[in-house]
Amino acid sequence: MTNPGRRLIVGCVVCAVVVGGILLAFTAKAQRKTAHKPRASVARRTPFKAQAINAEEIQALLKPSGRRPLLVNYWATWCDPCRDEFPDLVKIDKEYRPKGLDFIAITLDDLADINTAVPKFLREMNARMPVYLLNVADPEPTINSIDSRWGGALPATFLYDNNGQVVYKHFGRVNTPELRAEIEKLVSSK
Amino acid sequence: MKKLASFSLLSLVLAFAFAVSARTTDADIPAPPIIGSTIADFSLPDASGASHSLASLRGKNGTVLIFIAVQCPVSNAYNERMEKLAQDYKARGVNVVGINANSTESAADVKDHASRNNLNFTILKDNGNKIADVLGATRTPEAYFLDASNKLLYHGRIDNSRDITQVNSSELRDALEATLAGKPVPKTTASAFGCSIKRPE
Repeated sequence: MTNPGRRLIVGCVVCAVVVGGILLAFTAKAQRKTAHKPRASVARRTPFKAQAINAEEIQALLKPSGRRPLLVNYWATWCDPCRDEFPDLVKIDKEYRPKGLDFIAITLDDLADINTAVPKFLREMNARMPVYLLNVADPEPTINSIDSRWGGALPATFLYDNNGQVVYKHFGRVNTPELRAEIEKLVSSK
Repeated sequence: MKKLASFSLLSLVLAFAFAVSARTTDADIPAPPIIGSTIADFSLPDASGASHSLASLRGKNGTVLIFIAVQCPVSNAYNERMEKLAQDYKARGVNVVGINANSTESAADVKDHASRNNLNFTILKDNGNKIADVLGATRTPEAYFLDASNKLLYHGRIDNSRDITQVNSSELRDALEATLAGKPVPKTTASAFGCSIKRPE
């Protein structure tokens, strides 16, 4: 092969490697970006406003994203231990959302309270996580689908890993250091 | 040899992963007895301190035990319905008994609450959650229907909604009616949202 011919081949190979490298870098960056993006269902909404959801909608919310762990807290403004633990959960949301945790709070308040007691409480707490109000005539199928051992006692807290597996659950006022330790394991293993 | 070593390592890893996979902290609350099992006799004091055994409270056709609360708005939404249930079934041989197992509510609180809300059925104070643990009770209100031989026939909610205008299924009454008619209970368990029973830390 002549010298210019060889140079052309070498040039092409170098070019392909460089272009390939740049493309790979871009793809990796794009993937990293996706991995840190909160699931669409828990993107930010109007602050302090709860959205009413039905039995099907809650199932969609609980679907694993495959990318981020999910913390779910079931509460109500009429539930004293729920009110008591809420400031801890607000702190957890602020601290761990940027580190990759999704958090949704689901209230069992009456639909009549969606524009009164619920936003009033969320404002007092300065709670910024997405909040939903479960509005169902019969709560049983939803309770059983979430956990057959739950029974519906409030508050209840569930932590799911990226694949939707429950890694921690607690019925009654949450033990904050215990919950934090479990979240820490999930966000630091990423 | 190498294969055996990697197999052992894999088994160890898998066993560990399984052990840590579903950590829960509700493990200290025992599971409720299965439907059909017999509840052993027990004794608890009422709000005035007088002791009652399950045997002494049992109606000739059975007993309904309901875990109730002083503070819980869900339990309180059922006060009238529980009193009516007690009155309706007393004449038919089923005795309704309340149990307060909240460590945060004293016998004096229970007594005062019952008189303010005209609850005339017996209310027992379950200090230390002894019976709540035996029955695996976690919330208020939570009901258990035992037949005349203390066999558990129904466990769960009173009906589907704390808002009386939204009630369209009454599982506890259905269980009582079926049993009194000599038929099997149509739905033996049903859940609903309620306040958690406050156990001592």
